[in-house]
Amino acid sequence: MAITRVEVTPKQGAGMRDVRGDVVRRQLKADHGIDVSEVRSITGFLIKSSVPSFEISERVDDLFSDPIIEDAVTDTLFLTSPQHFPTAPDAAITVGFKPGVTDNPGSAAYDGFRTIFTQDELLEDASISTYQTYIFYGLPSEVTAEWLATTLHNNLIQRAEVADGEACAQAQWPAIDYPEKPPQTRTPPQAMNLEIPDEELIALSESGLLALNLEEMQTIQGHYRDVEVQASRAAVGIVANAPTDVELECLAQTWSEHCKHKIFASKIHHVDTETGEDSVIDSIFKTHIMKPTHDMQKEVDWLLSVFHDNSGVIAWDENWSVCMKAETHNSPSALDPYGGAMTGIVGVNRDILGTGLGARPIANTDVFCFGPPNWEGDLPDNLFHPSRVLRGVHAGVRVGGNESGIPTVNGAIVFDDRYIGKPLVYCGTVGIMPRVLPDGRESHIKTPTSGDIVYMVGGRVGYDGIHGATFSSLELTEESPSSAVQIGDPITQKKMLDMVLEARDAGLITCITDNGAGGLSSSIGEMAEYTNGCEIDLAKVPLKQPGLSAWEILVSESQERMTIAVKSSDCAAFESMAELHEVEATPVATFTSSGMFHVKYDTDTVAYLPIEFLHDGVPQLQLESEWSTPQQPLFNPESIELGDDAGHSPVLLDMLARPNIASKESWVRQYDHEVIAQTAVKPFVGVERDGPGDAGVIAPLHGDPHGLVISCGIAPRYSDLDAGAMAAASIDEAVRNAVCAGIDVDKMAGLDNFCWPDSIESVKTPDGKFKLAQLVRANRELERVCRAYRLPCVSGKDSMKNDYGSGENKISIPPTLLYSVFGDQPDVRFTATSDFKCAGERVYLVGISKEELGASELAFMMKENGQAEGIGGQVPLLPHPEQNINTYRALSTAIHAGLIQTAHDCSEGGVAVAAAEMCIGGRIGAELDIDGTGDSSVWSRLWGESLGRFIVGVQPEHEADFIEWMAGHPLTFLGTVTSSQELIISDGYEPLIKLKIPVMVDAWQNTLDMTGGVA
Amino acid sequence: MSTPRVAVLFGFGINCDHETAAVFNLVGGNSERIHVNHFVQGNRVLDDFDILAVPGGFSFGDHLGSGRLMGNRMRFALREQLHAFVAAGKPIIGICNGFQVLVKTGLLPGPNTSNPLPDFVQRASLTLNDSGRYEDRWVTLEFDPESPCIWTKGIRRMDCPVRHGEGKFVMPSSTDFDALAANHQLAVRYVDPSTPLGQGVTDEPLPFPISPNGSMRNVAGVCDSTGLVFGLMPHPEAVYAKWLHPHHTRGTAPGPPSSEALGEWEGEGLQMFRNAIEYVISKR
Repeated sequence: MAITRVEVTPKQGAGMRDVRGDVVRRQLKADHGIDVSEVRSITGFLIKSSVPSFEISERVDDLFSDPIIEDAVTDTLFLTSPQHFPTAPDAAITVGFKPGVTDNPGSAAYDGFRTIFTQDELLEDASISTYQTYIFYGLPSEVTAEWLATTLHNNLIQRAEVADGEACAQAQWPAIDYPEKPPQTRTPPQAMNLEIPDEELIALSESGLLALNLEEMQTIQGHYRDVEVQASRAAVGIVANAPTDVELECLAQTWSEHCKHKIFASKIHHVDTETGEDSVIDSIFKTHIMKPTHDMQKEVDWLLSVFHDNSGVIAWDENWSVCMKAETHNSPSALDPYGGAMTGIVGVNRDILGTGLGARPIANTDVFCFGPPNWEGDLPDNLFHPSRVLRGVHAGVRVGGNESGIPTVNGAIVFDDRYIGKPLVYCGTVGIMPRVLPDGRESHIKTPTSGDIVYMVGGRVGYDGIHGATFSSLELTEESPSSAVQIGDPITQKKMLDMVLEARDAGLITCITDNGAGGLSSSIGEMAEYTNGCEIDLAKVPLKQPGLSAWEILVSESQERMTIAVKSSDCAAFESMAELHEVEATPVATFTSSGMFHVKYDTDTVAYLPIEFLHDGVPQLQLESEWSTPQQPLFNPESIELGDDAGHSPVLLDMLARPNIASKESWVRQYDHEVIAQTAVKPFVGVERDGPGDAGVIAPLHGDPHGLVISCGIAPRYSDLDAGAMAAASIDEAVRNAVCAGIDVDKMAGLDNFCWPDSIESVKTPDGKFKLAQLVRANRELERVCRAYRLPCVSGKDSMKNDYGSGENKISIPPTLLYSVFGDQPDVRFTATSDFKCAGERVYLVGISKEELGASELAFMMKENGQAEGIGGQVPLLPHPEQNINTYRALSTAIHAGLIQTAHDCSEGGVAVAAAEMCIGGRIGAELDIDGTGDSSVWSRLWGESLGRFIVGVQPEHEADFIEWMAGHPLTFLGTVTSSQELIISDGYEPLIKLKIPVMVDAWQNTLDMTGGVA
Repeated sequence: MSTPRVAVLFGFGINCDHETAAVFNLVGGNSERIHVNHFVQGNRVLDDFDILAVPGGFSFGDHLGSGRLMGNRMRFALREQLHAFVAAGKPIIGICNGFQVLVKTGLLPGPNTSNPLPDFVQRASLTLNDSGRYEDRWVTLEFDPESPCIWTKGIRRMDCPVRHGEGKFVMPSSTDFDALAANHQLAVRYVDPSTPLGQGVTDEPLPFPISPNGSMRNVAGVCDSTGLVFGLMPHPEAVYAKWLHPHHTRGTAPGPPSSEALGEWEGEGLQMFRNAIEYVISKR
């Protein structure tokens, strides 16, 4: 088969731009301060087919190039054309994919190729691979082509060919070849001898990337010693007294921390060295998360499905239910920020599609934690600079969300040095489904029966995604990269999504789940619990390339796949629907009631595991936890010297420019937040649509103002003092954000997503007891606050190994809880936003400012500036959450009564920052007095982050009603919005801050604008 | 008299099909989301419909250029049906990715006035924004009151979100633009909201973000010479209600004072769809 090369480059001329090249030029300037005079680009296609080159050449303008804006050449390199590239460049770099890596433009090009060349015999085994060439002119002499290449590609998944100035002068151009995957041969299943000493069991687990501990390995060993087990195995013709590699891999996946949440399920011996407590917690999850939610479920009628499905489902109105799930994709994003993050977002979309009988994703949330984007310190080996992680993660989520047609309505970006070691990439999705399907079934209940046919739908299975979850613990090598990380394929998934929802409404689906971690092993294995058995034939599974062994097919985490059960009488209808949508759907298994997870390859049995052993056989971990309060040098603001007359004004400008506070608009605006035509409160609000939105509000039924609120809270800084306080603050912040948007506080639900450093004491983790105690305290606070707020946790996830390296160089992330809230918004025409609305608006503080500057953003900034010793002190606490929720209810109902249109939560940077943001959004000034907002110091009242607080604006005509409405709740008059362009804050007669609005706008907006402009 | 029937295409990455179908229904249409392949395979016939809408999205991931692969599917597989639809004088709208599809199919801006039937020759393109970024942001649009476009009748100015990375409208020469301008086919342009109504339109490229993409002559949308086929990059369907306007919490979301569809809360975008429904009814 021949390879035809086609190259395309933008036309030059008046009004035309080479935008791809220009983007590279601007990023070099923004990220590295490097000025290049011009960068041009070429897109290349390597077409493997039996269609003759001359025929392709004749149709190039029909497919590969757009004749209005592009030129194309066939079977040559554009760089050899003096007409297009008259002068020799200073560098030329070509970047293509490594063999086996998902190439979405290539797949799309092939799809288009088949529209034009329709003869099947010419297309057998045909495919298309793409590459990009960047051509640099005016490159500063100190910048080498080799270095440039490292900024343009990730060698885990891509290849680069480089021509430096000398090579270019000699016309030695980079030419990349078709990335041919070497043929693989399938190895038949092996019997794994477990009758070996303990140390060899451990070695087997480690060398095989099984991530099982000794007790777990011994439990597996014990299973195969059981004579009854042996007899039943002999009967089906599988090795009787030892597991096959397929079985061992399957158990390792199913019993992994990722799938079984073994730390949250463990028995913990907890000691508190300060209170003397010595107690045992039998599963944090059951005790602190599940039990409170189940208690609440007894009291309300709207909690339809919690914990057991792919996401938690609540009834929204009589006809519709909504669900939400959030996931993390930290390790994949560390290895390949773009692919890791993209598979994160499209993966959680599938969780929604796999909820009940299938829900439609209607909103995404993205929360990222990164190292500082302007980091100038050293970077550990194999880690990317935070700015590159930010760019890659953002691009992955942008492409994944935008191309899937799901609006990103809410999120956050948090920065801390320790996230250099492991970035956190949280992706969430909200879904909606009709409560009852046309055939009368309730959509949140799966209805599989023995005999149903199980389909694998969507993408194919490949080497990509094998051991994805455990790869991060290996050294990165050049050799087998394509299995380590994956790139999502949103369009394949979108086609599948369209098709699945049609199949759901046609009543064709009895059970559905997504293929994520653990692949078919997990998806079919979990669904088989419903009928108590299944029989899979791996030989039927469609593969991306031949040669995969049975265990690889079973555990591969290749993306864009759902597993769907269909009644045998509906199979024909299901398959023809798939065909219409051009979605691959292949029957690979049957549900049984045999009690067995029975896996065959053709006629051979390759795995035969009891369902009960597979799912409930893993032994409970026993862990040690010990708390003592971390000692941090005290943050004493009184020792800070403020410059002469300016008072706190320069502090406010510095705070507004802090990455944690600064506007993220240039990043967020690149997400589609309005597709589906439902977003009633957008990520940015106000006169210039650039003030901070507190929460996303959507009205998903067209023509109907009934809404939903989606918000989040995250406060990892507080973990440095107390992870319990961190958890309480995260929940409170999420709820307050939602209250600003008018959530019904009596109909809201939450998601807990924990990201923790390793908390099992070991040589690698000597402080494991303390880190586990942090987890205990966080969960105790979670239970206390959620019970008080009557806020059920309907879904959640944990990622428990967020560390880099070991010993002195070890970096552990601060324990981080992302708390997401979603709930009812009775009428989106009544909501509030943070921007001040007009002069004369009366401004109030809801809540009380306490002496709580410990671990505040101010403390961290002053410490980093060398103006303070430390960040220690009193961390914000939530002593009476039952009082808080009453205040929140009053505030939210005031919004719905039309009394206020302006509300903003008071968090990072306290009253000063919140007030500044409200002025920025409204492009209008205010004169405020913080006297009377609490008994605390002026520093605390201005910058403190006490929980439970909002700043609200009230029109004068509603002021009396509002005060009466809020009677009994803490409310302090702060001042008035003025027609000036100045924010003035005082403490009684003492002036504190006086700043012009445009100056604050610049400070707030410049830090994170890394776009490099548009010129 | 039967309600006008609207075919709203979906499949292969189109993703604004739900809301596009919904807005036609809000103004008295009877819309149906129909997978492209139903028309290709002949299960459904385009001729059964009065209006065709090609919604926004990322058809085929916009690889090889936005709208190109979907444009090819339509150009090669739906050629006769589309030709007959236009020849029958039935309105077509393409929004965002749908506009890109219609341009790459050659339906927009289409051949000149002397023979307005489609010849499926691409005459213009929509390419990467000068900024190099996909962005979701609100812009102000001004419409040519003399345009033959049946979709924009009576609409003068509108706030609207754009959500695209490839919205820069280009044609090979200024004479191409002059011909369209003379025929008032440059139906909608990006304008500076601070200009007085009717005076915002200019041929000089406006700065970012007033023009979000660097379009030549600030073109946001064009129609064919009959005025029946229309496409635009911004999303009028995304402002069907005032509560979707970013300023609704400020009490300043523009729109008609009252409407049958949404009371006081009809947004500026709905009129475009009502225009097409009323046009179909008026031709009966």
